[in-house]
Amino acid sequence: MFAYVLRRLVQIPLVLVVVSLTIFIIVRATPGDPVQIMLGMQTSPEAEAALRKAFRLDRPVAEQYVLWVFDILRGDLGNSIRLNQPVADLLMERFPISLKLALASIAFAIAVSIPLGVAAALWRNSWVDYLCTGFTLVSFSVPNFALALILIFVFSIQLEWFPITGIGSGSPASWREAAMPYVLPSISLGILQVAVLTRLLRSSMIDVLSQDYIRTAHAKGLLPVTVIVIHGLRNALIPFVTMVVIQFGFLVGIQVTIEYVFAIPGMGSAMLSAVVNRDFPVIQGFTLVIAMFFLLANIFADVMYSILDPRIRL
Amino acid sequence: MTVVAPDAAEPPALSGMTMAMRQFVGNRAAVSGIAVMLAMCAAAAFAPWLAPYDPTVIDLPAKLSPPSLAYPLGTDHFGRDVLSRLIWGARVSLMVGLIVVVFALAFGVPIGLAAGYLAGRVDNLLMRLMDAFLTFPPLLLGVAIVGLLGPDIHNVVIALGIAQVPVLGRIVRGSTMAVTNETYILATRALGAGSTRIVTRHVLRNILSPIVVQLTIVFSAAVIAEASLSFLGLGTQPPQPSWGRDLSEARRYMAEAPWLFLAPTFAIMLCVMSINFVGDGLRDALDPRSWRGQPVADPARGQGA
Repeated sequence: MFAYVLRRLVQIPLVLVVVSLTIFIIVRATPGDPVQIMLGMQTSPEAEAALRKAFRLDRPVAEQYVLWVFDILRGDLGNSIRLNQPVADLLMERFPISLKLALASIAFAIAVSIPLGVAAALWRNSWVDYLCTGFTLVSFSVPNFALALILIFVFSIQLEWFPITGIGSGSPASWREAAMPYVLPSISLGILQVAVLTRLLRSSMIDVLSQDYIRTAHAKGLLPVTVIVIHGLRNALIPFVTMVVIQFGFLVGIQVTIEYVFAIPGMGSAMLSAVVNRDFPVIQGFTLVIAMFFLLANIFADVMYSILDPRIRL
Repeated sequence: MTVVAPDAAEPPALSGMTMAMRQFVGNRAAVSGIAVMLAMCAAAAFAPWLAPYDPTVIDLPAKLSPPSLAYPLGTDHFGRDVLSRLIWGARVSLMVGLIVVVFALAFGVPIGLAAGYLAGRVDNLLMRLMDAFLTFPPLLLGVAIVGLLGPDIHNVVIALGIAQVPVLGRIVRGSTMAVTNETYILATRALGAGSTRIVTRHVLRNILSPIVVQLTIVFSAAVIAEASLSFLGLGTQPPQPSWGRDLSEARRYMAEAPWLFLAPTFAIMLCVMSINFVGDGLRDALDPRSWRGQPVADPARGQGA
């Protein structure tokens, strides 16, 4: 397994080179000049030249790329052109918020999908199953930002249970006050994962429950609950856990619409404003981190799978 | 000398395609999905004649009117008819979905076929490239490309297409590899068929079903992604009607005019759900192992008789 993980880890830099090169080329090949956007109309050629020099925009693109890679190898992600602050600092500000939101969303998805998936599998082709299937179908087709609006309408505007905004602003007085603003965003963001995980658990649970060892366990006279939870669910959770990790790796990078609705200062909104302002270093740095997070989550998922299921050798 | 009559006792064996068609037609969800999709396509195509009002004409005295006989789905903050905007918005959503499907087909299928059939170094190179593109979250890739190239529907299509190519490419590659090792492909090669003929006539034909099913997923993903980008202000620009854009503008009037955000939400959901029904139906119909009711034609029987 170590050899496998090592091989996968070695591949990461290769993939990251392709990712960074692609984003580097896209960012520079498209029209729009960050210096002009930043300085506006009233500017002297000297100021412009100085800024260009400071951000190495006066050099050939190939040289810019090589210098940027060397900086990264030294742990320096460069400075934001727009915000006049190191990209690494911005990342340290934004990443924890996105990570927390991703964690809250996946926790919500797990909490809902386990009972739903198990119930649908146990009472297969009954009204319980159809209800679960209907729920996953709706979850698959509702855009997360539209669900966010519906939730805001019902729970913030009508019932006034949850605040609309509040993530990343001020210093919350209590644990409760800190958690409340995450409720609606994590439900809206996690709804797709609920659908994916419920479907997966339902089918793997049906598969497990039809195995011979389940019949044996029943024949031994074990309590049905013991059979379902200890013999059934534990085995059905193997693919489920792997999928949880993969989806989690994905969640950090797909928050942009939810951040927009709830005014959350996360990675997505930073990317959005960086793209609008053509803040090259921020776009490059953030893309790299999101890609790396995704790759690591995938490797971790593979390792988890082989640990949980001894039949699988990496 | 007598002509040997075909065995009349045995019913004529149905071709695979006919059997698949029968399965599909028997699937109520899939048929209703197709019906809804066709209705939406018709609404989009005949929007100028179907829409009761001009979707961009401003009528301030009528602003934010609730649904009524004159305005079946109410009006927005400029007094524009919501139903007319939905009908015109369908044009944008469906067109983007369709073009992204074509884009994914045009690039994903050749890349997947090349990687899967040629294997070895070509496969390695192409797949590492696809891996790199898969690490970009599709929506963020859309934000980056559209944000940089400018908010324009053409750029949206390019961005969403690029995001879908690696997914389809991987599926085509996997199916191609599985098919290439089948005996009938080896036999065709032994008969002297060239690579082009093998790939176009034999491989492609046998991997059509995963491709078709994936394309329905690509379509619904494109519809949602276009709505997301327009919602963020990066897609269709005002005053042009668009489901995502209209949703974004409805945000400010949620308390006084909830129909404004409910209408586009249901339009998107209906579209995505029906295309998913079609996809599920196709997957079941194209996979003989999941066929219900009719006996599956046994290939061995035909030879034995």
